[in-house]
Amino acid sequence: MQPLLAIWNSTIFQKWVMAVTGIVLVGFLAGHLSGNLLIFLGPDHMNAYGVELRELLHGSVIWVTRIGLLLAFVLHVRAGIVLAARNRKSTGVSNSKVTNKTSTIASRTMVYSGLLILFYVIYHLAHFTWGLAHTEYYSYVDSLGRHDVYRMVVESFRNPVIVATYSLAMIVTGLHLNHAISSAFQTLGINNRRINGLIRSAGPIVGIALVLGFLSVPLSVVFGLVK
Amino acid sequence: MNLRLHIWRQTGPSDHGMLRAYNVNNVSEHMSFLEMLDVLNEELIEKGEEPVAFDHDCREGICGTCGMVINGRPHGPLSRTTACQLHMRSFKDGDEIYIEPWRATAFPIVRDLVVDRSAFDRVIQRGGFVSVNTGNAQDGNAIPISKIDADVSMDAAACIGCGACVAACPNSSASLFVAAKIGHLVALPQGKAEAATRAMSMVLSMDAEGFGSCTNHYECEAACPKGISADFIAQMNREFMKSVF
Repeated sequence: MQPLLAIWNSTIFQKWVMAVTGIVLVGFLAGHLSGNLLIFLGPDHMNAYGVELRELLHGSVIWVTRIGLLLAFVLHVRAGIVLAARNRKSTGVSNSKVTNKTSTIASRTMVYSGLLILFYVIYHLAHFTWGLAHTEYYSYVDSLGRHDVYRMVVESFRNPVIVATYSLAMIVTGLHLNHAISSAFQTLGINNRRINGLIRSAGPIVGIALVLGFLSVPLSVVFGLVK
Repeated sequence: MNLRLHIWRQTGPSDHGMLRAYNVNNVSEHMSFLEMLDVLNEELIEKGEEPVAFDHDCREGICGTCGMVINGRPHGPLSRTTACQLHMRSFKDGDEIYIEPWRATAFPIVRDLVVDRSAFDRVIQRGGFVSVNTGNAQDGNAIPISKIDADVSMDAAACIGCGACVAACPNSSASLFVAAKIGHLVALPQGKAEAATRAMSMVLSMDAEGFGSCTNHYECEAACPKGISADFIAQMNREFMKSVF
């Protein structure tokens, strides 16, 4: 019997933590995106969704989700930093000539894209959830007295700086997901010769689809499709 | 052909080491890479200089002793080929060739291109074995094993423990090596007795030796002279979790 702490700190256990929490976070992104896309149905759907999200089962659903996501996020970031630091120590001196055959820019920069996403998420929450950044967009109220999410989003994306930061963050997220999704399957051992091709090509496709979905909102505002 | 070599020279573990340039002339394309280094060493000895230290043994690609990073690739530019089976016909006159040792904290440099790979031996000692009855050898085919299982086990058992996977990995992870050993034994009924503890012991030992973690770049698979599949790493990840619960 190995002590529990030794197992928890082992590289493969931390990789499992990374993969499981990563899947939770990708699931969250999919849910978040489906909410965002309501903007194409108009202000009423968007604002009603905002109220429903906050009040479902007396607000318990959103808090359980938030706590779960926070936990997943913290564990994911922690595992990423711990493993990256460990790997840096393991490699030591590098060769004067290094030729990469199969690794990609995405796979070699996961810890950097991850940290950029971390900083962006904090700013993003401050903007759209806490109303601490860009406060001028946060206080709109629609005719039914609801928090006007629709107008907050549209007005925000009329600001070119916000569009640029958002787009950049989405591209970095795309880079991260490009390696992340297929990688999670390998880490969890969901892998055999029949499904490997599918997993390794479907991962990047799902990642790119999510990112394009998120980008569709600011682009629609910029091009005047959503007013 | 005439070549210009840049070889990593380091007198001992505590020395800093540096690349030094050497010219080797009249190299035959039929020579193996190691024979080309033998020629260089003879010239160095005649001149009264220290020859380049490198590991080698069988020189037929099966023992896993030789290994050096040639122009940034472990074992050189050919796939599924050890350095001893790489021939000079893969190079051309006037080439500059960079020759460096395996780089990993867990593989300290002994001298020049020789690294200490005993970390692999210690990982093997923690679980790379099966328990057998002593006495007479069993009759052949006494234990039925399916052709599929035998083939999978043999694919993993092809690992010669050369360490190219560690050298190729951007994280200096030994995952492919450890996964091959686990995959080799767990596929067979003889390996079942220790299956519950093997993955745990070997993975914790791999971590303790200071190897990095796998981030699924698959550089190891591309560099492996025996073509071991990274699928075995996924299997190791499963086996590890099975041994947790």
